Amino acid sequence: MIRIVTLAPFDEGDIAFLTRTLYRSFGVGTEHVGERALPKTAERADGRFDAVKLLDDAPPVRAFADDKVVYLTDVELSIPKGPLGEPPAWGFAVQGGERCLVSTFRFPPRGVSESSIEVFRRRLARECTHFVGHLWDLHHCYDPRCAMHPSWSPSLAADPEHDLDAFCREKSERRIRLAKT
Amino acid sequence: MAPLPDRSTRGNGFPVRPPGKRDREDKGEPDPALEGNIASAGELEPGDRVVYPNQGVCRVLGLEQKDIAGQRLEFVKLTREEDGASVLVPLQKVATIGLRRVASADQIEGVFHYLGASYDDPELDWKVRHRDNVERLIAGGVLGVAEVVKGLHSLARLRPLPAKERELYDGSRHLLVSEVAVSLGIPATIAEDYIDYALMPPAGVKLPLKPPPKPVELKGPPWKRKKPVSEEDDLGLEDLGLDLGSLEGEEPAAENAEGAAGEGAERTETASAGEEAVATPRPARPAKPEKKAARPPVAEKERKKAPKAHPKKAAKKPAPRNAAKKPAKAKPAKPPKKASGGKRK
Repeated sequence: MIRIVTLAPFDEGDIAFLTRTLYRSFGVGTEHVGERALPKTAERADGRFDAVKLLDDAPPVRAFADDKVVYLTDVELSIPKGPLGEPPAWGFAVQGGERCLVSTFRFPPRGVSESSIEVFRRRLARECTHFVGHLWDLHHCYDPRCAMHPSWSPSLAADPEHDLDAFCREKSERRIRLAKT
Repeated sequence: MAPLPDRSTRGNGFPVRPPGKRDREDKGEPDPALEGNIASAGELEPGDRVVYPNQGVCRVLGLEQKDIAGQRLEFVKLTREEDGASVLVPLQKVATIGLRRVASADQIEGVFHYLGASYDDPELDWKVRHRDNVERLIAGGVLGVAEVVKGLHSLARLRPLPAKERELYDGSRHLLVSEVAVSLGIPATIAEDYIDYALMPPAGVKLPLKPPPKPVELKGPPWKRKKPVSEEDDLGLEDLGLDLGSLEGEEPAAENAEGAAGEGAERTETASAGEEAVATPRPARPAKPEKKAARPPVAEKERKKAPKAHPKKAAKKPAPRNAAKKPAKAKPAKPPKKASGGKRK
């Protein structure tokens, strides 16, 4: 089961589209648990939120073995600086773990037109699929049409696909079949 | 389960310091691929973190004895950190399986500079590529794993990877991510972000790159190694305006000329005066047109006699091509030059 927890107000239509997409991508039931308060302890001096700490401090929800929890937020995230600089953070997940965090801060503005809302929803679905994929032990994919392609890649389209490619889909299905429950 | 023997004890057959390491240090040539390699079980202690090639980061538990086929054997017991799987390594094989310590921060930094460097020349021959990749994963250290990831990544930009290589790419990426994560003490997803940030930086970002470390030199048997493109293949004859196609037709003549030149060289050695040496080889040159003129009829006769044998002969053609190159190499030894040098003296 995939459980979605919102740490900011989200449109019901967006969440409904997201649950449908995650169900279609992984074949696992998906539900919206509800909205929780954003933990301010993860906020840094520059106004951004430490992604790792935010996920650690996120309010727990009732979940069973092999359940995956997706936290949705709209704040800017940061991750520790690496040897070549700090990659842009669209979210954070524990590889093979149970919880992940997705931020809509870098998404194109939702707007009010049907087309912009559609683009926003597709991007939300894509990023959530990406980070839930990490929870199922998937790595980044070189194919720009796959949802596991890095979110900042220059070869990614403006409105990227939100499906997994054949290899990643098979791998995730294998993992899900091997899950205890 | 017994703990591993103390590093200072020699009585158990564990050298205090691996001889291979000493040799390398004496030569002053550290091999980046061998850096951190475990040369004997004496270097290991319970709780150490090591990397088992193709398996990932493992933790050393200690020594374990087992009776197998009537023999009492000793194993080093490891546990894979990723899933807790047990790995038993025979004590005698510790030095040969490529067990190594987790890469240091300096090595990891070199890996990132390597990943960020431009690389547009993936190996296109799948047999060579597969062989090299497998060898790099086993004996190349963390840089070897990074080479596999980068090589397959750049190939994937040209065309989709076949299923087996896609799996190899995913597996080597997994090994690299886990080692980087363990070495830098960060979560695996962030380690993967760092790797992909180096491999495909966002538009407009210029990475602060340093010169990357040298790629791992593969040390397989020579018959397994890919033939490097040597300078012999490119003699610069095109620059001289010589047509190689026409030279191929003169192969026997060239052989003859070489033989003649060799004879001439012998004569020059026996001759006392330099001027004689200049004169001796020159008569050998007119032999070229004679042979050249004589060759086509012979070839025609052979074609008429045994037409089936042609494909085989065609297949053997590369051999005389080398022979055609020999005279070019032997050119400096030609008597006229020697003689002119003698005159100058």
